[in-house]
Amino acid sequence: MQSRDGLTDNVTPQYRERIIPQDLPTPFSAGRRALAVAAAWLIPGAGHLSLGRYGRGLMFFVLIVGAFALGLALQGRLYWPTVSDPPSMFHFDLISVLWTFAQIGGGLCYLVSYAFGWGTEPLPAATNEYGNTFMFLAGLLNYLIIYDAYDIAAGRKR
Amino acid sequence: MHVLMMSLYAAIAAIVLATIDPKAETMRERLIHGLKIFGWFMGIGLVLSWILFPIPW
Repeated sequence: MQSRDGLTDNVTPQYRERIIPQDLPTPFSAGRRALAVAAAWLIPGAGHLSLGRYGRGLMFFVLIVGAFALGLALQGRLYWPTVSDPPSMFHFDLISVLWTFAQIGGGLCYLVSYAFGWGTEPLPAATNEYGNTFMFLAGLLNYLIIYDAYDIAAGRKR
Repeated sequence: MHVLMMSLYAAIAAIVLATIDPKAETMRERLIHGLKIFGWFMGIGLVLSWILFPIPW
C-alpha cells in the first residue's frame, strides 16, 4: 500500500506510524482558526480552550498571566515605542520597540495593565529588572502558544 | 533571590516549550524534554554567571 506522502513506502510500519500519524486530526475551518489565534493573543490559553484543549489552555493561562502578574509585582514597567533621542535613521528608539513587541504578546495582560496604569510609572525598585524579564517572557512565550494553537486548528498537530 | 528568579524563569519556559514541542508526543516524553530544557537553562545560567562574575562591568 502506498503511503500518503509517497516518501515512507520503504520504512518499517512502526517507524512510519511514528513519523506520519495515520489518524491526523481534522483541520478546523478558517473562521475557527482566526478565532483561535485572536483568542490566544487576547487571553493566553483561550485559543487552546476554543479548540477543546482544556488542560493545555488552563495551564498556559496560569503560567502566562502568572508570569506577567509576577513581573508587575516585581515593579516591572510597561514599554511603549519612544522617539529616538538623539534623532537617528529609525524614528523610534529600537530597543523600546523590541521591548514593546515582547510585552504586547501578552494581549489583555498588557492592555489591561496599560488601561489601569500599572507599570506605567517606573518605581526605583531593586527588583524591576526581574519584573521586566518576566513580562518579556510572558509575552514571548505567548507568541509560541499562539503558533501552537494555530497548528492545532490547522490540523498539523494534536 | 537571583537563583530563585532564574529557577522560576527556567521552570515557566521549560513547561511551555516542552508542552508545545511537536516531537514530544507522550506525557513521559514531554516530562523528560521539559527537565532537559530546565537543566540547560540552569546550567548555562550558572556557567555564564561564573564567567561574567570577574568582569568589572
